Amino acid sequence: MQEPTFLILTALAAGPQHGYAIITDAGRTSGGVTRLQTGTLYMALDRLCSAGLVEPDREEVADGRLRRYYRLTDEGAALLAAETERRRATAAVAAQRLSARLAGGTA
Amino acid sequence: MSAQDTVRAAALERRYRRLLRCYPPGHRQVHREEMLGVLLATARPGQRAPGARQTVNLVACGLAIRARRALRSLADESWQDALAVVSLITPAVMLIIAALDIAVAIRVAVVEHYAYPLAGPFWQTWLVSFLDGPVTVMISWLAVVLLGLTGRRRPAAAIASIALALALFSLLATLIQNGAWSGGFPMFLITVGQGPVFIASLAACSLAFSAGPRRGLAIAGRRQACLMIAALAGVFGVPEIVRMVRVSAPVAASTVSLLDITVLTIAAAVVVTHVRDTVDRRVAALLAPVLLVDAASIRFEFDAISTATVVLSLGSLLFAVLVWPVAIASWRGRVRRSSHALPT
Repeated sequence: MQEPTFLILTALAAGPQHGYAIITDAGRTSGGVTRLQTGTLYMALDRLCSAGLVEPDREEVADGRLRRYYRLTDEGAALLAAETERRRATAAVAAQRLSARLAGGTA
Repeated sequence: MSAQDTVRAAALERRYRRLLRCYPPGHRQVHREEMLGVLLATARPGQRAPGARQTVNLVACGLAIRARRALRSLADESWQDALAVVSLITPAVMLIIAALDIAVAIRVAVVEHYAYPLAGPFWQTWLVSFLDGPVTVMISWLAVVLLGLTGRRRPAAAIASIALALALFSLLATLIQNGAWSGGFPMFLITVGQGPVFIASLAACSLAFSAGPRRGLAIAGRRQACLMIAALAGVFGVPEIVRMVRVSAPVAASTVSLLDITVLTIAAAVVVTHVRDTVDRRVAALLAPVLLVDAASIRFEFDAISTATVVLSLGSLLFAVLVWPVAIASWRGRVRRSSHALPT
């Protein structure tokens, strides 16, 4: 799973969000590393919606502008859980090797 | 907000709206206002134009969504059905063209035999002039038609592919032999874009990537299939028939061309008037380039190499090549659909 997709699903895991909120959430979650572009966001949303991982929630008008909220479907949540587990396992291996390397260095 | 800020914001919004035209209409209709809101919310204060990176991103993503939707529409059932119909029609057309080629070869042999009685026994002249190519070609297309109609699509596709490879090979051989290379690139294009090779390509491709001729027959019905076969065979068979009738007397190019145009118009009318639904439209889209090839050769007879001939040939060649990825994408869509359907 690509980083933008992961960040979008992560943003929606907290609850339904509109486009701008997803971008700010993704920036915050990634510690400012990933700045999601609007085009990238809507391309991902288009794909995620047609795959049934995300669906439109509700619409609001704020400052005269339409805001559409998106929410995670059960399939989307399951995919995010699987991806999170995979990333956790990879990170655990990396952490383990790094600590072994540090231990080797001090010995 | 000052008056200047309002003007800047309006200019920015106008530029964003223009960029959003890269998105497909369906997407734009649903998401334009929403995307504009996000774009304007992420803009810097006082920003007047989208940044270069953002422009590239919007254009690229819009085109990517367009491409994705186009691919998805290819996976649509109707393209598979259309390819099945084409896999029924094209091998039959090839068979008829091959049969006419043999008839022409026999006619030429007879004429030669009476013109040069000392050239040897009739059977020898006859056999030599005719055994080499046309019979092999006709037998292979006969096999393709029979295998296809008896539901053996894969062997039919294999033989059609071999026939296509041989046709391409002989076309190149003729080109080199006749020194057509000296005619330059346009000449090469016109010859490569020749009708029978094009139809053979369609046949091989549709047999390989569709449910096959039996399904095609079930969709099109016997009457429509026969009409389309007759129309297409007529388009490419007419020059053969003219050659057969007037074998010794040279026929004026304009006579042949007029005849060609008439047959072409009739064929186009048959194809167009039989469009009743989406599948028929797709069939017409797949077969139309074949008529384009013929139009190119007619133009060629009239005024040799011109912009029109080159454009027509290039167009038909492009179609001939494009048919393959279209068919493969549509086939993969079908496979995906059936694998989804299995568990239910």
